[in-house]
Amino acid sequence: MSDVSAASLSAMYQETLLAHHRAPLNRRAIANATHTGSRKNPLCGDALQVAVRFDGDSIADAAFTGQGCSIATASASMMTEVLRGRTRDQALALVDEVESMLTGGTAAPNLPFGLEALRGVAPFPGRHGCATMSWLALRDALHTRS
Amino acid sequence: MTVLSALAPRADFPLLAANPSLHYLDSAATSQKPRAVLDALVGFYETSNANPHRGAYALSAAATDAFHNARVTVARFLGVADSDCLIYTRGTTESVNLVAATWGATNVRVGDEIVVTALEHHANFVTWQQLAKRTGATLRIVELTAHQEIDLDQLRDVVGPRTKLVAITHVSNAVGAITPLDTVVEIVRAQSNAVLFVDGAQGAPHLPVAFDTMGADFYAFSGHKMLGPMGIGGLIGKRALLEAMPPFLFGGDMIEWVYDFDSTWNVLPHKFEAGTPNAADAVGLAAGVRYLEALDMTAVRAHEVALLEAAEARLRDLTACTVYGPPPSRRSGVISFSLDDVHPHDLATILDQHGVCVRAGHHCAQPLMRRLGVSSTARASFYVYSEQSDVDALCSALVSAQTMFAAA
Repeated sequence: MSDVSAASLSAMYQETLLAHHRAPLNRRAIANATHTGSRKNPLCGDALQVAVRFDGDSIADAAFTGQGCSIATASASMMTEVLRGRTRDQALALVDEVESMLTGGTAAPNLPFGLEALRGVAPFPGRHGCATMSWLALRDALHTRS
Repeated sequence: MTVLSALAPRADFPLLAANPSLHYLDSAATSQKPRAVLDALVGFYETSNANPHRGAYALSAAATDAFHNARVTVARFLGVADSDCLIYTRGTTESVNLVAATWGATNVRVGDEIVVTALEHHANFVTWQQLAKRTGATLRIVELTAHQEIDLDQLRDVVGPRTKLVAITHVSNAVGAITPLDTVVEIVRAQSNAVLFVDGAQGAPHLPVAFDTMGADFYAFSGHKMLGPMGIGGLIGKRALLEAMPPFLFGGDMIEWVYDFDSTWNVLPHKFEAGTPNAADAVGLAAGVRYLEALDMTAVRAHEVALLEAAEARLRDLTACTVYGPPPSRRSGVISFSLDDVHPHDLATILDQHGVCVRAGHHCAQPLMRRLGVSSTARASFYVYSEQSDVDALCSALVSAQTMFAAA
């Protein structure tokens, strides 16, 4: 019934996403985090917490904790990798980009290479919330302080 | 191995007929509709559409008759001789809320106890939880056995003279466990003067229901889970209780006399059916009920048991797969399970690619999920149109999912 092909499925679950799911990067706590945020998905009970430490204007460290499905975990893992060195404004712009690529269906030509695998989630609207969970937690974090 | 064919031919169900490679295993969420139901629904609008009760012309009489006959049909199917005691609502959720807002508001107070179970769907849990909060009554929660069935010994301990209401599911939507209602009735009647409310959302579609001999005070059901349209269901209640309850919604049809500063109420069932009724969907539901009557509910049950046995055997054969709930003889057509290495969300997506529709999530049973120690499970549910190929597709898709997610 689904008009998304098996090729799309394997695109989404391509090795990158699966690799991030099996061995997520930066799944740990951060001592001296300057910003923290969290998100829960009431439909499945998944919950992720995001922590960021700024050094001056730029992000020195980013990490996540919590339980999620493979898409949520992989997205959080990829996110924490690409955040390093970015300013607050750059990080927030990246959240907007990811969100609009997934839920808004935009082309997102400037998506960092480390997030390319997230494009595979775009044809699966039911999974957009999984992919954006860590990003929305990041947005919350950057708008408040720990 | 005998190949299990569908009890109700897929050809009778337009959506299934148009999608031969679809394996719809989410009937617990909503059932597919036979052509007969769709024809009855459209037929009402094409031949008998008018506002029931209100007109003095022949077409209105036709609408009134269609609406009344539909009620009588559904009442007969559910073993209610007094069809005025079958109140139409939007479904089980609204039925629960109706009783809480009317019977509950006028009968429950501080010091009283409301008994629910850890198996309940949010509709039959949150509603009573909030009634307890509003009134100052105490909520008591009966826990579960190792197979996620209601612990009847605990029920015996909990029910007593302070118990005002026992709210219990006929069949669990999450794990399929069938509640032995005769034992529950015995306990409640022997040990208290409590009112017994039964959530029949998953009961009425899958098991023979005989309200008049059941011994419960209220029984709620949803039409869309039993081949009927969405937006129609019912509350069955004992006449004495319904007559003593204040109205739920106010407006047209439910009144007798309207003075400037007070009003009097119409008789049953109208007292609880304010406004223009959902006559078309009621007629559609009656057609669904006639379809089930033609299949015979004993045959429906036997068909589901056969499918469950086939499915459960293969699921239990899978490594790293946990199946929740009791054995097939004590469960209805619902299987909840989880795979160790595959999150239910991921599982549902992969199954979707194989044309298999299952539900992943908490199934509106967060208290149950907590007790299972999981945040969500995958749930496959069978119904009259399910067949061997659905079981096969489910199981081979599960193997694919496991392969894809196997630890590197």
